[in-house]
Amino acid sequence: MNPKVVSPRSHLSFLLALGLLLMMSHTASAHSETGGVGGFVSGFRHPLTGLDHIVAMVAVGLWGAYLGAPAMWLLPVVFPVVMAFGGALGVLGVRLPGVETCIALSGILLGLAVGFAARPKIWIAAVLVGFFAIFHGHAHGTELPNSANPITYAIGFVVATGLLHLSGIAFGLLVRWPWGRVAVRLAGFAIALIGFGFLFDLIKA
Amino acid sequence: MALVFLCPPLAEAHMTVKGMNHFTSGALHPLMTPAHVLVLLSLGLCVGQHPPLRLKIPLSVFAAASAMALGWTMTGRIAGVHQAILASVALAAGAVVAIGKPLPVWVRAIFCGAGALAIGLDSGADAATGLAVVSTLLGTWLALMLCVLNGAHYVSLAAEKNKQWIHIGIRVAGSWIVAISLLVVAFALRKQGH
Repeated sequence: MNPKVVSPRSHLSFLLALGLLLMMSHTASAHSETGGVGGFVSGFRHPLTGLDHIVAMVAVGLWGAYLGAPAMWLLPVVFPVVMAFGGALGVLGVRLPGVETCIALSGILLGLAVGFAARPKIWIAAVLVGFFAIFHGHAHGTELPNSANPITYAIGFVVATGLLHLSGIAFGLLVRWPWGRVAVRLAGFAIALIGFGFLFDLIKA
Repeated sequence: MALVFLCPPLAEAHMTVKGMNHFTSGALHPLMTPAHVLVLLSLGLCVGQHPPLRLKIPLSVFAAASAMALGWTMTGRIAGVHQAILASVALAAGAVVAIGKPLPVWVRAIFCGAGALAIGLDSGADAATGLAVVSTLLGTWLALMLCVLNGAHYVSLAAEKNKQWIHIGIRVAGSWIVAISLLVVAFALRKQGH
């Protein structure tokens, strides 16, 4: 029987990881700073506090999965950046008209796009998603607390938003099955209904 | 690994941990400063994104620039680097990763140099004696080197698998870094305006 051969690369990986772990072992006993921790938690929770935001983020992921490649991977790359741009505008106090209306419309239009299995050209989908991403980001940006630790807040915020988006994609991958396509389209219609609810103030964020 | 670095118990910059020697304290400094972690992550992604891994030039530039910057902090002429500058370096490197196009190695070296200078100048030691300062900065320098080396190495290992979802994941990580950095720069500009 031949002995198992371990590549030199694996040895290097192990040694590098060990070096890092030896350094990291002290972190467990380090004093934590409530500013940093609070900032991350606060940022992480922020996108999850509004149903109107959640459904739109999930709808983007659903639609991306439904459109398939390259939209499916283009949207998670582009979306956080565009949304952060909108967030930066909000943080800086740049006014945008009709933010809440556009957020409600995003749920409606993106939900209907998924519900009706719309497959426009990728640039149309990207422009639509990008347009709404700016308003979602702006709404978050204007609500960001002054006292938050900026960097840990931003990390928590972006990670939570990205995870919402990815959860939509994960759900959207069900389209490979016939029952999955029905489930995804129904979810799209549900999102559109929620959007209508927000637009006509039937649901409060 | 990225999530471990970014996990919540990260303190503010320049915090020293009681009971720890200067070398270890210095080594932990970049790991406990979120802005530094962001830059180091972006550099690791940038260098390792497109295998085969070519470390000699970027790592040499990083080593020299960080040593120079850390040494400069001993003169006492620089108190630190504005968080917006660190975020801008991360933003640029993250953008390169998100776009996904392979870049010449000298361009990656430039990013490493910029990142090394920014982090190094922001890592001044607060120790009392000269020996303590040197010990702290040496620990910081070694930690910085290990972080970039590890980051680039593991990203390259993953990218070599040649699976589309891995390449997309790396680009998504780059876009997240861009998004975080954009918000940090906006925060910094808002703070300055008030």
